[in-house]
Formats: sequence, structure tokens, C-alpha cells
Amino acid sequence: MEFGIIALIIIIILKQYKPEFSVYVSIIAGIIIIFLIMDKLYGIINLLLNISNKTGTGSEFIGILLKITGIAILTEFAVSICKDSGENAIASKIDLGGKIIIISISIPIITALLEMLLTMLS
Amino acid sequence: MDIDLLFKIAAIGILVAVLHQVLVRAGREDQAMMTTLAGLIIVLTMVIKEISTLFNTVRTMFGL
Repeated sequence: MEFGIIALIIIIILKQYKPEFSVYVSIIAGIIIIFLIMDKLYGIINLLLNISNKTGTGSEFIGILLKITGIAILTEFAVSICKDSGENAIASKIDLGGKIIIISISIPIITALLEMLLTMLS
Repeated sequence: MDIDLLFKIAAIGILVAVLHQVLVRAGREDQAMMTTLAGLIIVLTMVIKEISTLFNTVRTMFGL
């Protein structure tokens, strides 16, 4: 939290002299904050993997879910930076790309779900 | 990967701003623009290095 406030103060100072450097400072602040969160995230991921290994059912779906969260984090990172610097068009394109990649990755889940439904119905 | 990176970029930014003003006052606009570009490129390489480390950690962590 303190990193965000420090970065904010630096950006305000830099904006008067050199506006283009403020974009870099906001990117670096975002990266630092994500790195701070990383170790908590790592614990959560290990917990998820252990649980899925124990139950043994649908362990490949956990992998796909993790992939989707990773993609979501990265696309949200890029979208917010583009929106900050005023490039809403690029932000929406990145968002679109992220969604399409997530859909393409989750195809196995959809097919498995449909097969389960078909077997139940028939 | 901590706060001194932010201060480094802020220092480069302010330095470039001051150099730009000094060179413009001295009547050398082209060199002023050169120093601004050089400062931008230095900061850009640092930022790109950090972004690549971010992408690699996220990739290895989420198994992408």
C-alpha cells in the first residue's frame, strides 16, 4: 500500500516536468505491487493443487483454472496501464484478446461438461 | 525489485528535465532533445527488464 502512495507522489512531481516518465513510474509501481502479492498467491496455488490432488477428480481442470487466472491478471495489468495513459482503444483490444485466449483455453472444460450432460440425458 | 527502482526512474526523469531546460537555455535545442531521448531509452530498458521478469514469474507460477 505504501508503494502505491510513494509512486503516486513521484508521479505527481514528475508530471509537471516530464509527463512521459509518469507512465513508466506507474508501470513499475504496478509490477512491484504484483510481486509483493506473488508469495501469498503462491501459497494459495499450492493449497489448490494439494486439494485437487487429494480428491483426484478434475485435477486437469484446476490447471486450466490456474491458467485462466494468470491470463486474467496479466490482461488486467495491461488494460489498466493503457487506460491510465488514455489509450482506451488499445485497452479494449487487449481485453478482447485476453477473453478470446481464455475461451480457447477453456474448450476442454466445455466439451467435458457437454459429454457429462449427454451421458446423463441418454 | 523494490522501491529504489521507483526513485531511480524519478531521478532520471528530473535530471533529464533539468538538462533539457539547461540545454534549451544554452541555445542547443537538438542536444536537449537528444538527452531527453537518451533518458527515455534508459528508463525504457529498465522497465522492459522488469516487465519481462514479471511475465516470467507469472508464467512459471500459473503454468502458462
